[in-house]
Amino acid sequence: MLNQRKRLWDAPPLKSHYDAVIIGGGLHGLATAYFLATRHDIRDIAVIEKRYIGYGGAGRNTAIVRANQRTQENVPLYKEALDLWPVLTRELDFNLMFYNCGNLNLAHSEAALKAMRLQTATAQFHGVDSQLVTPAECKALIPALDISDRPSYPILGGMFHPPGGIVRHDAVVWGLAKGASRKGVRIHQGVEVTGIGVQKGKVDSVETTLGRISTPRVLNAAGAYSAALANRLMGICLPISVLTIQAMVTQPLKPLLDHVISSGGYHIYANQTLKGEIATGAHMDRWPNYTTQTSAHYIKHQAEALTDLLPCMRGVKFMRTWAGLADMTPDMAPIMTGNDPVEGYYQDCGWGYFGFKSCTVAGKYMAQYMATGSCPDILLPFDQKRFEAHRLMGETAALVSYSADN
Amino acid sequence: MALSLTCPICGLRNGYEFRFGGADKGPRPLEEGLTPAQWCAYAHLNTCVAGVQLEWWNHKDGCGTWFVARRDTRSNREVPKEDVQ
Ligand SMILES: Cc1cc2nc3c(=O)[nH]c(=O)nc-3n(C[C@H](O)[C@H](O)[C@H](O)COP(=O)(O)OP(=O)(O)OC[C@H]3O[C@@H](n4cnc5c(N)ncnc54)[C@H](O)[C@@H]3O)c2cc1C
Ligand SMILES: [Zn+2]
Repeated sequence: MLNQRKRLWDAPPLKSHYDAVIIGGGLHGLATAYFLATRHDIRDIAVIEKRYIGYGGAGRNTAIVRANQRTQENVPLYKEALDLWPVLTRELDFNLMFYNCGNLNLAHSEAALKAMRLQTATAQFHGVDSQLVTPAECKALIPALDISDRPSYPILGGMFHPPGGIVRHDAVVWGLAKGASRKGVRIHQGVEVTGIGVQKGKVDSVETTLGRISTPRVLNAAGAYSAALANRLMGICLPISVLTIQAMVTQPLKPLLDHVISSGGYHIYANQTLKGEIATGAHMDRWPNYTTQTSAHYIKHQAEALTDLLPCMRGVKFMRTWAGLADMTPDMAPIMTGNDPVEGYYQDCGWGYFGFKSCTVAGKYMAQYMATGSCPDILLPFDQKRFEAHRLMGETAALVSYSADN
Repeated sequence: MALSLTCPICGLRNGYEFRFGGADKGPRPLEEGLTPAQWCAYAHLNTCVAGVQLEWWNHKDGCGTWFVARRDTRSNREVPKEDVQ
């Protein structure tokens, strides 16, 4: 009896009708299904996943969570997401391994420090704990850091954000899948969505490799594949470029990195996993593509940057590298829309490499959007129309030329 | 990543020498009568094709020339002209 294991989610046959169909068994799709089922009593839901749940960015990200973004539209969303981890851990009865070790972001120039001043002021205004720190304080947080003027880019200061950290990304996928499945959500893996049927301006069905499903609402949550899908199935063009992003881990080491560190100057971030590996990323090749290839170019860059900041890491070996896709928007902020241009068609994409930390809150509000048909206030700024109105959000200013657009 | 591109002047070179300049969306729209929607489409919108696309490249760390290449976004391979329908 004790050894009898139960699957976390069921695999029932595909039905011919659902009240909602979600394309993509990634973080955002599963979270939306979970919130629809638990908060809005819409349980007759199919999550259609082409490969297996977690195949996309969900299983490839470096699991960093934080709420120290730049703009007033984004910070409250990410703050709520951060506050949700402990709540969901209890609610799902699944250990998401939220480790709020804090994030230390390093500045290597006056300009970077100035940007951090603005960012900490914004954070504090929104009740997010974030403060500027001196090089000596950086060193106190991470003694292995070289704060002398030896590195190519000496450390001039930093921004410390104590409530951020790391969450186990696979646990989020499994926990949400389990929670959604318990409420009746059907997760169909190995099934691809190949079409969306529209009648008189309204969604009426979804075509899949296992046949047609009739449904009044569908969410495109196919992650980095969602823009191509929107184009192919709906004729929609989005302000998105899909780029490959790489990450890697070293051999396990004794504890040396108690916080997540990141540096715009070096184009690097790193944290030590509970196993002891230094997980580090993340670089993007600046041309759109759908491969998940890694490159020697970036392994070398990563090694140089890491050992410049943390000289004690010289000689440490990388054990594994991998890559995933990131759907980048010109302003590094997501696109969440609904009923446009077709009633019942919803879209949640453009998360770039911020789609892990945001998944629960995006799911929560997209569920509300889909259940009520009207856009929750907090999501209003994320309409794609901002690009036409030349009202791009300023999330990009703190970063170096990352997207294909610059 | 395994990307090599053929610069019309320098020949086949490592992809990291180049800068991507966006999908080829045809000529820049005329200012006269230009609507925000048309400009947005030209400046920001992409089809995100998984397949062969025509695109602009600049040989940034080389001769500096701009040229149009055909590349398969699923493999990063350049596709010769005659293979494109
Ligand atoms: C290397 C790397 C590091 C990252 N680090 C971080 C980080 O530290 N913090 C952070 O917040 N974010 C990070 N991200 C970004 C984050 O992983 C993504 O933004 C997030 O996974 C997006 O979630 P999603 O649910 O939208 O898409 P995904 O998780 O990609 O899921 C989409 C799913 O849709 C499926 N699909 C596609 N087409 C179809 C179809 N036609 N029919 C059915 N299913 C389909 C795919 O198979 C996939 O499983 C990182 C990403 C990468 C690659
Ligand atoms: Zn050249």
